[in-house]
Amino acid sequence: MTPTIAYVTDPRFPGGTSSAIAAELAAISDMVRPAVYGLSTAMFRDREDAPVLTDALAALNLTLIRDPEEIAADIVIFHNPACLKFQNTPGTRIIARHLIVVTHENFLRPGGHEAFDVANCLDQIAGASVALTRSLAPVSDANRSTVSDWMDRHPAGARWQQTQDNWPNICDFDLIAPTARPADRRGRHSRPGFEKFPSRETMDLCFPSDAASSVILGADHLADDPDRPPHWTLIPFQGLSVAQYFDMIDFMVYYTAPTWHESFGRVLAEAIAAGKIVITDPGTAQTFQGGVKAATPDEVSDIIAGYIADPDRYQADVRAGQRSLDAFSAAAFRRMFSDVLSRSGEAVL
Amino acid sequence: MILLCSGQISLRHLDALLLFATGLREAGYSVAIDDRFAPAGMSRHQKFEAVPFLAAPDDITPGCIVIIAAEDISEEVQTLLRAAPPPPGTPVRAVGYFETPQARINSRNRIAYATGTEPEVINRGTPHSKQLIEAPVVPLVTAIARAPVQSEGARTSLLVYMPEDMLEEEGVLHDLATLRHAPRTDLHILTTAKGKAIIRQSRHAGLSVFGYGELAPANLLTYADVFAFFGPGIPGERMAFLALIAMGSGKVVIDCTTSAAFKTAGAPALSGPEHAAALAGYLADTVAGSRREIGRRILLDPWLRACDIATLTESLSLRPSPAASPDERAPATVFFPTNGVGLGHAQRCALIADGLPGESAVRFAAFPSCTDLLRRRGYDCMPVIARSDAHEDAFAADLINYLRLRDMLAPGDTLVFDGGFVFDSVYRVVSELKIPAWWIRRGLWQPEHINPNVLERERAFTGVITPDEAFPELNDVYSSGNHIHRVGPVVRTDASSPKERAGLRKRLGKAFNRPVDTLAVSMLGSGMASERTAQVQMLCSLMEERENCLHLVVVWPHAVVASDFGQWHNSFAVRTDQTLSLCAAADLVVSAAGYNSFHELLYAGIPSIMIPNHATYLDDQEKRARAAADRNLARFVAATDLLTLQREVDGLLDGTVRAEIAAAFTEVPLPERGNNAAAELIRGVNSR
Repeated sequence: MTPTIAYVTDPRFPGGTSSAIAAELAAISDMVRPAVYGLSTAMFRDREDAPVLTDALAALNLTLIRDPEEIAADIVIFHNPACLKFQNTPGTRIIARHLIVVTHENFLRPGGHEAFDVANCLDQIAGASVALTRSLAPVSDANRSTVSDWMDRHPAGARWQQTQDNWPNICDFDLIAPTARPADRRGRHSRPGFEKFPSRETMDLCFPSDAASSVILGADHLADDPDRPPHWTLIPFQGLSVAQYFDMIDFMVYYTAPTWHESFGRVLAEAIAAGKIVITDPGTAQTFQGGVKAATPDEVSDIIAGYIADPDRYQADVRAGQRSLDAFSAAAFRRMFSDVLSRSGEAVL
Repeated sequence: MILLCSGQISLRHLDALLLFATGLREAGYSVAIDDRFAPAGMSRHQKFEAVPFLAAPDDITPGCIVIIAAEDISEEVQTLLRAAPPPPGTPVRAVGYFETPQARINSRNRIAYATGTEPEVINRGTPHSKQLIEAPVVPLVTAIARAPVQSEGARTSLLVYMPEDMLEEEGVLHDLATLRHAPRTDLHILTTAKGKAIIRQSRHAGLSVFGYGELAPANLLTYADVFAFFGPGIPGERMAFLALIAMGSGKVVIDCTTSAAFKTAGAPALSGPEHAAALAGYLADTVAGSRREIGRRILLDPWLRACDIATLTESLSLRPSPAASPDERAPATVFFPTNGVGLGHAQRCALIADGLPGESAVRFAAFPSCTDLLRRRGYDCMPVIARSDAHEDAFAADLINYLRLRDMLAPGDTLVFDGGFVFDSVYRVVSELKIPAWWIRRGLWQPEHINPNVLERERAFTGVITPDEAFPELNDVYSSGNHIHRVGPVVRTDASSPKERAGLRKRLGKAFNRPVDTLAVSMLGSGMASERTAQVQMLCSLMEERENCLHLVVVWPHAVVASDFGQWHNSFAVRTDQTLSLCAAADLVVSAAGYNSFHELLYAGIPSIMIPNHATYLDDQEKRARAAADRNLARFVAATDLLTLQREVDGLLDGTVRAEIAAAFTEVPLPERGNNAAAELIRGVNSR
């Protein structure tokens, strides 16, 4: 018998979490019909549900059940426990054979500092749940290592185990062919948070004045900087559609603050699918297993120059990168999910 | 050096930065405030408090960066931190009151993202440490003295904080005012600007009142041994900080709040009466005889110990600045004469300075109009800036002067200020450096000048030296007490012999290429106080009619009177501070009746015609001139009376008036000069 499935999250997550859930629900729609629960956590006051999730639920004819007293299913999948970080109780009971918490955010930042009050969030879930197995499901290898390190050093980690496989974001984007004539048109896009941007020194290396163009989408804070370089094209977050932005670049150069790392890197997957060469730091690149170029900022311009001089290699590497996205396809997710379903009977205390 | 920032940019956060910076400085740390965290709309008081601390981050190399109020770091602040990140290797530390671990993590993350550096984050809010006020943004910490820092003797200095609405309640101000008459009690009141206005408009206007932001809490400390707080609770961080550092100094804090705010927080404050009427009795019964013992016990209190700044600085890994090498220079006496319309204040200061022992280190801070005079007299002079309408703030010049005075003065020095109104720069620097200070304040003010807001700044000074006028009816008394020291007129005397005077006339004749049978000198002021063109031109025309006549029109530095006397053959403008020698050699002196000119003429026995200036911001020259004229020591001419001026000139030069005045000088005794007495008073402080 197919186990019953329940999804739990705060539906107001604005970025990757809601997009990931929407894609998952679509991917598994012919395998199971999950119940979907929405928690109104203290993290998102005065914010609407994420449209991508609302649309997905509507398309699948699923009803969002808000703030239930109890959630009961064979497998309960709790997406992104960080939504509980500003409160002390989830406000619901969870009864499950297997409780899986998908850890969309890194538990630790570079340097080992907690990225959020992980113990508080996990303890809330553990305290409110009766489950044979409680698992943490990292979204990538990079994310997994932060979860492992946290579990090793924190007593609350003993109440959890890690899933064997990652629980990746589905990156089922339409693939666009690479340009045959790449130019030194660089860009980056992200939310405008300070964690998403590296130091000014690194930005200068990534987007030098001799680049043909440098488009920075999500540059809300940079626009306030009176010393911003005139050759940067700064566009606020959502000031341009992502498709329009991709039309303006051939190279995606993406570095973050040294004190923060992407847990998955959905924006990089988007760029790969859009037919761009993506250059980032080695830690962020590892998720895509060769699909993006790992480099230090001072190597960026040489890498770009090399590709411009060799358009065939540019096209070949873009296509190779797009093939690396197969690991994040809906089909790959369904295989992983099928395994989870089949193992649900094995869940033990 | 520690560079301070705050989690948000607001006037409240700036106040918190200033309080914390002051606390660190007092504890021996070198500290600056990132000037980007000074918001628009700062008050005059805030600018004075802030300006010694503000620094552009590019201009200094901080040893570490400390962010206060880190519990809520705004995007604006993150943008600033990102724009000027700490130099590589510079530690970043943050302190805040975090209610949850997540709040602390949030703070750490925001700083780490913005600066690219992992901060060390210190939580000041623990379940066991109750704060004086809810959700403070300033770290409420204080240095803790080893022994009570209280004045010796039986007198108790009491500072009462009272909110403005309480002052408006019937009878409260009266009850408060009666404290002034309590035995052995010196009362100061601390309230808002509005509260201060209420007191000033009442029959108790003479009370010593501090405005809420008038002085930094650390500087207010020196004014009292006992602090009593009235009202519903502790009104904000500034007062909480004042109470805390008072306790940390082993002073007595009395909780007279209706909510027992201090006691509720666990602070070692005495529980006092809620009504001002009962405070005098409470002080007499509970505090007066044992304030030092109470202070000792306060210093040992565990709640206070938990607020020790040393604990916080240790957890922030801050290191005090290396102790400055002992200053080799001897304590100096610094004179700061205000910039009147003439040179009187500077002249008077120089005369007193001349009376100090030869080995004394004497320096001047002086406005440009006076520096030449003082340097010619051998005094080292630091220029200060004169007020200008071109400045954005009316007090901008004084702000810079404050910085210059701070740099110029050091503990052990003495400041001597001469002027009618004590500048903020002087008031603050004296309160801040806790140095001996004297206010030289001549009398004979215009009535509108005599008000408590001017006189209250006496409290910053060791004493007030009031050089007397020559005649008793001119000596008004504006304030009294042991700190007021009257001395005789401070005046320059003419020591020239008849032969020297004749020699001067001869030299003048040579310089102006004429025989000098008649020498006339007119000194009617700079023209800034009163328009005197008509009188000067009248004198020029009168002197033009005389043969072998030389008429010198003394023009002060920066005078606005016309200096072009080209149409006259006998009249010339001269810029000189050797006026007394000129007058002593002259046949006719026509002078305004400023303190210095007036007394110089009297003490040199020089007959003169006095035409008083009458600007409202001057002393009462008319009263002074009439006093001399009534004794037949000078002739009085009203400014508008040109015909009388002509008659008096003729009488002095051609008639018997000069002889009559000379005779009167032998009849009228003048008090002993006060130059040395003033110097002795200042010396006494220096030698203590």
